[in-house]
Amino acid sequence: MTSRFSYGRTTHVMLWCGLAVALLGVSIPKIYSGATENPLRPTRPLHTCDSYLKFATGASGAAKDVISIFQSMTASKRVIIFTRKDDAFSSGLGMTTAYLASPHLVRLFEINGTHPDNELLKINPDQVAAVVFCRINRPAWVPAGKVFGSGLEIVPMPKERR
Amino acid sequence: MTGLALLGAFGTVLVAGYGLLTLLVRQEARFSLTEQIAFSWLLGTGAVSLLLWIFGLFVHGVLLPALVSIVCLSLGFVGWRRMVPLPLRHNPKSFEIFLAIIVAIEIAIVFYLSFVHTLGWDGLLNWEIKARYAFANGGVLPVTYFSDSGRAFSHPEYPLAIPFTELWLYLWLDEADQFCAKTIFPIFYVVGTFLLVALGRRLSGRTWIGLLMAAFLFFVPQITVEAGSATGGYADFPLSIFFLASIGCLICAAEQGNAAFFRLYAACLTLLPWVKRDGVILWTVAAACGVFVILRTKRSPLFFLGFLPGLLIICGWHFYLSTMHALQPADFLPVNLETLGSHLYRIPPLLSAFLAEFYNLPTWSLFWFVVAVGVVYLLRRMRDPRVLVLLAALIVPIFFYLLIYVFSSWPSYLDHVGLSISRLLMHVAPVGFLITILAVSRRSEKNPARVREGGVVTCIMAGSERTPVVELA
Repeated sequence: MTSRFSYGRTTHVMLWCGLAVALLGVSIPKIYSGATENPLRPTRPLHTCDSYLKFATGASGAAKDVISIFQSMTASKRVIIFTRKDDAFSSGLGMTTAYLASPHLVRLFEINGTHPDNELLKINPDQVAAVVFCRINRPAWVPAGKVFGSGLEIVPMPKERR
Repeated sequence: MTGLALLGAFGTVLVAGYGLLTLLVRQEARFSLTEQIAFSWLLGTGAVSLLLWIFGLFVHGVLLPALVSIVCLSLGFVGWRRMVPLPLRHNPKSFEIFLAIIVAIEIAIVFYLSFVHTLGWDGLLNWEIKARYAFANGGVLPVTYFSDSGRAFSHPEYPLAIPFTELWLYLWLDEADQFCAKTIFPIFYVVGTFLLVALGRRLSGRTWIGLLMAAFLFFVPQITVEAGSATGGYADFPLSIFFLASIGCLICAAEQGNAAFFRLYAACLTLLPWVKRDGVILWTVAAACGVFVILRTKRSPLFFLGFLPGLLIICGWHFYLSTMHALQPADFLPVNLETLGSHLYRIPPLLSAFLAEFYNLPTWSLFWFVVAVGVVYLLRRMRDPRVLVLLAALIVPIFFYLLIYVFSSWPSYLDHVGLSISRLLMHVAPVGFLITILAVSRRSEKNPARVREGGVVTCIMAGSERTPVVELA
């Protein structure tokens, strides 16, 4: 009996009980706030992309429309996406658009500022299916495209240039 | 309809995994039902994703899932013929039932969390993207994806265990569904809890210690609610569970020369580099631990063959990437002595960053402090090969992870550390739980009889279970 309730054993039990209680005390508030910060989302097949696009542009349920725009274009042509350097929203929006632009090959241009005129002039429009502006101003000489919320604009290139 | 399709996808994964489990165990050891489910899931996801990749080299379209399904069902048939024996039943104590209820509630919360959160950034753009593109291309990743510079951000060079498990769901659903893809991640959490219960019982001889550790898994914020957690669709948590399974089986194999556990260890080890690129580091560490156990327990040199499948996967994947002209990852500089020499100045700041992460309470709570106490407990038992294996499996990967940031090519390597360190440490966190189990149980050499308490299956019993009646008598 003495060995069963020895000091060593008591210290051992108290140490681990103390650690367990302390860990719970630190963890529970964090886990509670993490578990309650978001409501249950709609179970759409593109629910993550929709959430990202809504976060970056404010547009709801936009992923399906973005996909259908890209699918209406010639698959063999590339999609050009402009994003802003040092703008995490723009960069994230560009990558999400690149994700949705499949099966097109994509090219991401990260530019300083908000005017991509110089880069656009270097592009051969015959090889491009669309140009996408992510939180970047479309130059006035480029025709207007489909706008999603604030910050995403997709400009399809004409299928056959005359 | 969606529910039935998911049931079919998960069913085939489990059936294939169970078949492999029976082939590996060969009725030499008893496994509880939860252990069988856990190993069936791990082996099943590995097998299905590998089969999709390998068969995808030759066929695509409807034929691909049909072929994989046939192999899964064949493996299931093998499993049905050679059932893994269950341990003898023991009546659970009321405290164990209470803990089991807590664990069940936690699992339900993890499923809920998985559904309220979207896929994380990497979960979508590094992992799910591969599943979606492969699904849209008849089950095979398009060749152009590997060399598309515009999609280099999605790391085409990353291995396919997780994306192709998602792909398997998509093939059954006949739709790429990001919401359904998330269901596989809480299942890895369930597997993690099952393994902790089982390994806790095998290491300590007491079921309640395993249940207690499984209950505490939930209270590590990095695992439940932080970015890159078990619910975010990242490969890090699944990788940590594969690593837990490898190391857990190895320490069971270290006792009494149990060959069934060694084969299971080799199987889980094989899948480490298939889950994530960082898995190569974990594979190296776990393989080194395996070599130590083989030499220490004076096993036949044939056991070294267990490392061959993992090497095949590492080399096979690299060969495949070079054949596809995959873009080289740009996150790291060339690993050589010259780069190391010129970047040694980074080590002190990296050490500081790592140390700061250990006491980052919002992310880890007191987890690493608890593990540190456990390590101190085990220092007295360094002669035990299992303790050495556990300590090496915990500490050496952290050292390697620190070292790889020396080669970071990011303009600010400390930003690189800040973005990924918590996820890297998560790889070894479940091993920290094993250390805590050993420390809490204090099952010392003085009282080996303890392991037979209550008819519970332990590694020692499992090692000699060919004659269970005699053993228990």
